[in-house]
Amino acid sequence: MSKVRVAVDVGGTFTDVCIFDEDSKTMRVTKVPSTPHDPMIAVMNGVERGEIDLKDVTLFSHGTTVATNALITRNFPAAALVTTKGFRDVIEIRDGTKDDLWDAYNDVSGPYIRRRDRFEVTERIDFSGRTVTPLDEEEARQVAALLKRRGVKTIAVCFLNSYANAAHETRMREILEEEIPDATVSTSAEILPEIFEYDRFNTAVANAVLAPLVSGYVNRLADELKSGGYAGDLLLLHSGGGSMTPRMVEKYPVRLAASGIAAGAISAKHIAQQCGYENAVSLDMGGTSTDIALVAGGELRVTKEWQVEYGHPIIFPSIEVLTIGAGGGSLAHIDIAGSLRNGPQSAGADPGPVCYNTGGTEPTNTDANVVLGRLGTSLAGGVKQLDKALSEEAIKRVIADPLNLGLAEAAQAIVSVANANMADAVRLVSIRRGYDPRDFALLAFGGAGALHGADVARELSIPTVIVPPNPGVTSAMGCLLVDVRHDLSQMYTGLASAADAEDLEAKFTALETEASARLRHEGVSDENALLQRQVSMRYLGQWRSLTVPMGTGAGALEQAIQTFHEQHEREFAFSQVGAPVEIYQLHLAAIGKTPKPSFRPAERSVGGPGEPSEVRKVYFGETGWVETPVYDRDSIPAGAKFSGPAIINQLDSTTVVPPNTHAEIDEWMNIRIHIEEVAK
Amino acid sequence: MTKAANAPITTLDPVTFEVLKNAFATSVDLMSEQILRTCYSFVIYSRDFSSALCDAEGNTVMQGSGDIAVHVGTLHFQCKAVLEQFEGDIHPGDVFAINDPYRGGTHFNDVSFIRPVFSEGEIVAFAQNKGHWADIGGSVPGSFDVNAKEHFGEGLRITPVRIWSKGVFLADVAQLLTSNTRAPEQAMGDLHAQSEATAVCEREILRLIDRYGTETVKTALRETQDYVERTVRRRLESLPRGTWETADYIDVDPGKTEGLVPIKIKLTMDGEGIHYDLVGSAPVVETFLNSGYGTTFSAIYAGTKTFFPDVPLNSGFYRAVTADIGPEGTVVNAGWPYAVTGFCAGPYEKVMNGIFEIWSQIMPERAMACAFNLEYLLVGGRDARGDSKPYFMWYDWMAGGWGGRASKDGSSATAPVFGAGLAVQPLEGQELLSPVLTSMHAIAVDSGGPGRFRGGLGIEKGGTLTDAESTVMSYCCDRARSITFGIEGGLPSIPHGVWLNRGTENEQFLGSNFSSVPVQSGDSFIRPSAGGGGFGDPLHRTPEEVLEDVIDGYVSVKRAAEDYGVVIEEVDAEIDDFRIDFNATTEKRAWIAANRQNWLEEDPAAIAEAYKRKEIDMLDVIRRHGVILDWGTGELFENTTKQYRELMSRRSAQHWG
Repeated sequence: MSKVRVAVDVGGTFTDVCIFDEDSKTMRVTKVPSTPHDPMIAVMNGVERGEIDLKDVTLFSHGTTVATNALITRNFPAAALVTTKGFRDVIEIRDGTKDDLWDAYNDVSGPYIRRRDRFEVTERIDFSGRTVTPLDEEEARQVAALLKRRGVKTIAVCFLNSYANAAHETRMREILEEEIPDATVSTSAEILPEIFEYDRFNTAVANAVLAPLVSGYVNRLADELKSGGYAGDLLLLHSGGGSMTPRMVEKYPVRLAASGIAAGAISAKHIAQQCGYENAVSLDMGGTSTDIALVAGGELRVTKEWQVEYGHPIIFPSIEVLTIGAGGGSLAHIDIAGSLRNGPQSAGADPGPVCYNTGGTEPTNTDANVVLGRLGTSLAGGVKQLDKALSEEAIKRVIADPLNLGLAEAAQAIVSVANANMADAVRLVSIRRGYDPRDFALLAFGGAGALHGADVARELSIPTVIVPPNPGVTSAMGCLLVDVRHDLSQMYTGLASAADAEDLEAKFTALETEASARLRHEGVSDENALLQRQVSMRYLGQWRSLTVPMGTGAGALEQAIQTFHEQHEREFAFSQVGAPVEIYQLHLAAIGKTPKPSFRPAERSVGGPGEPSEVRKVYFGETGWVETPVYDRDSIPAGAKFSGPAIINQLDSTTVVPPNTHAEIDEWMNIRIHIEEVAK
Repeated sequence: MTKAANAPITTLDPVTFEVLKNAFATSVDLMSEQILRTCYSFVIYSRDFSSALCDAEGNTVMQGSGDIAVHVGTLHFQCKAVLEQFEGDIHPGDVFAINDPYRGGTHFNDVSFIRPVFSEGEIVAFAQNKGHWADIGGSVPGSFDVNAKEHFGEGLRITPVRIWSKGVFLADVAQLLTSNTRAPEQAMGDLHAQSEATAVCEREILRLIDRYGTETVKTALRETQDYVERTVRRRLESLPRGTWETADYIDVDPGKTEGLVPIKIKLTMDGEGIHYDLVGSAPVVETFLNSGYGTTFSAIYAGTKTFFPDVPLNSGFYRAVTADIGPEGTVVNAGWPYAVTGFCAGPYEKVMNGIFEIWSQIMPERAMACAFNLEYLLVGGRDARGDSKPYFMWYDWMAGGWGGRASKDGSSATAPVFGAGLAVQPLEGQELLSPVLTSMHAIAVDSGGPGRFRGGLGIEKGGTLTDAESTVMSYCCDRARSITFGIEGGLPSIPHGVWLNRGTENEQFLGSNFSSVPVQSGDSFIRPSAGGGGFGDPLHRTPEEVLEDVIDGYVSVKRAAEDYGVVIEEVDAEIDDFRIDFNATTEKRAWIAANRQNWLEEDPAAIAEAYKRKEIDMLDVIRRHGVILDWGTGELFENTTKQYRELMSRRSAQHWG
């Protein structure tokens, strides 16, 4: 058997498996239903369904929602917080803000550890790291004994100003480990050595509550794969767009909190690169929501402001993904003032769109696409039949009649509003970073992305749309495309002009020593290890900082400052060259390069898409009803070129190629759609 | 509904209208996003700012989705003031600044920047944002002078002024403004950040004009307002008609004898719209707790909007919600030159909470009792930790409890209703910047007003000055006497107010409103924020819910018995083993029910004496007897008590079965 690489991405409904064959350089995919009570069952089912012999697997990578789900359901083993006297409520007070500013009945969810499980000890360190009050060891032991009596399994130790001096936290950990040897202890300075107690405490608390659960799952799966014959390390995708092994998951489980979300964005970056685009925006549209991510200058945007639920920040670098409530199942309706709206309410999987005939009565985007002929009445190769008449009735009743529109016009109006909402969201992620969407390619995937991609691109004046070969499992492929990665940081506040180059170098070197140790622990060889320095800076007096890359050697800081001015100018349309710049944090990305699949380009033929499987009437906003050819995606060869209008069907998706566009199949089997008037 | 009644409201096609309406919102949110990322004032960074797109007449078309409530409904006044002032002399590339509370502004710290958007030589729209500068000059650091009676000396009053002229920065004008603050570099940073942000909105509107044409965009600007007005009026069709009245109170007017200061609110719904009448509210007080017309309207809009959470905010909303706030010279319509900077702690929240109380009757399923009062503590002086002894400002505000609701407890530790997005600051950041060591930041036990649904819990926060020189402390709050109230039988929470050196020989209760109290290294201070008022009779709360509150330490064993009549036995607190004594609970509840009406009629002087002798505590005095004292000395406020008992009788006692 040939060697294969396997990626498994667990979603709410389906677990997707991507299998890359190293000999043929081709990829095949399979889908099995997810098993939320024990996600491992679906993973192993996927292995079986994919006919994978684990002995042939050279790399097994995995995106998991185990951590995300545990945080949302608050389903943790007995956990406790030990903190500075007077401050046990820091994680409950948060910053006090509400997510929903106006609905007084819509509250922020409660903290990960209840008040009754939060304990205080006497100790205090000030802003400079000086001990104001020594740790009361007797009290610390009493708390440890109490936690033991309460049967606590995992503990977060969070003391004020520990970012400046972690001695008390470390000592508290020792005492806890002496008294309760089998408990897991997370200290805040070790998890996140950064200022701001609420962010640091909550990140450490999230780490603590996830520790037994997530590392338990990961170790169980690793053992299962090992007994099946897999000889390598299980790689877990983390929110920073890298992966880690079970050995590091034990210590930093919180990094898996957004394991799944990053996968689609990583695929987008890969596809853009493959197609020669430095800049791309991805539109991953599913049944209830759309994820949008930005690739700029070949890199994904990373944010540290991230959370699973509002009010509970997890401060680790995470791929920036904007999720909006627009999907195939989003409901169209007329609001109380008579205006046409689309989403964010969704028919979801239950009752689903009206045309599924599973109880839905309100029209969705899917229904509009069916009425317009964009979506056929037979999906997934005939497995699912859609009832067009039901869609027509619903759209007529809910939209067409009240607005005095014809049926097709009403359906088109629904689709147009959905497209405009997605375009607004893309605008928000791109323009707010100072990018012009016209310089981007749009990557459309997810079950519904390719239905809307070309129209959204036109709305944004984006000239090119790329639809990957398997839009429905594009996310899973992302798991195959990542490196082992750790992100370390250290506070450093002071004017850049006054920074001591040697001191700065020493601090970076210390971070690099720690980072190298982590990579070695992961089994990364030195030649595959890559360390990247970054620095966060701001104009003196500003509150937010910008993170820019920093080189090594003489002049590195000056260069970084120059980059900071430039980036500030691009993102915010102004800079203040000459104004004092403050360094805020040092960062180090430790990357363990992992071999990537090298896809083999297909031979390009010259010619058209072949014979359509059908020709049907499809409605487009600019032309009305047009006879439109429908092609089977599998039968269109690489190199084929054709003009819209056309519909392309495949098992997991439908692509709309509207009038006045030109499509081609590239050597990676992507469909590229060029929008005519934009190209001009 | 008939088909005609449901006809489209727009002369544009429905898609274009929806697309433009949403694009207006995006243009404003982009402006907010940029401010958040480039601002210098930590107050702005904590989200005390707002953004709006206004039409050519200055009417607001869209406000930011994350805007602070207190700015709602003031931005159009500011835009119209600029229009009045510069009519015929406004050009592409101009930017104007204004903070004038006598022309619809909030207070001097809130500085607006306004940029016209031109198409084909005419003004199509204005982009505006308003942010709270940490200091705008005046006699007190942070520009909150409680004792100010007139605005002179409160801070710099900026009447409409041009900062950019046809794209040229007027450095001299900008310098004049920023030089009148305690942090000129910071102010200049914010001036740039805010002005540049208006350009983001302008760019988006120009893109829309390019795509859809000037006329279409102008129509959409107008019809987006019509849309909101229509939405509100449609909602009213299913709501009752009638008149409702209430009053809420500021603690005291120092210019008069003790006694609560009334703010009267009457609401009439006649099927046409929502009409408020504030006539009969008290004359201006001799502190800065007065409100200009702009902020009174803001309180009215924001309070009402709480019951229409999904309706976008624009001038269409302001057409459906109207108000008569009476002649100038009152706490709700102060007029020049009365001091109004403290409106936010004074009339603003009283109007909002009064409106909550009224709408709790109109929409009982969204009912909510009173929330804690906005509070600002300012400690300013020289930081002696370093040789240069720089100026420091420890400018702190807390979260607190919101009122109990018809179906659940109040929200604990939440930003003030003045702005539910206003973030409290991380204390590690404060410690880095000021010589104040925080002693605690914790939930205040028993601070939630008892009720069938308990009020949310307040916070307690304090600190000790370590190395400070020439330092003074000021406090802007209220409700040390007009205590956060319960409704439908619910009980009050706790009073606001600052304690200096609590638990020492030098203990002093400074109250909820004071200015420039000298403090020195070694002094400590602490103050709670109130919880929310209770909703419904506390004797009807299930003993099991009270037990859970006791295990989490939200309610003490003592108050569980005194406020809820639930007797709880502590068996082994280490493992959360507390048990309800059901027999004792039945007995205790019967005893409370039999006596509580009488407790509210006991001689207040005797209650005050018992408090001084420490026979009863503060919560007994308030919740059981409805008596209001100086919480430091125990001195009885006779008039205030009489007024407060009337309120408790109406809001609480009359609902006890």
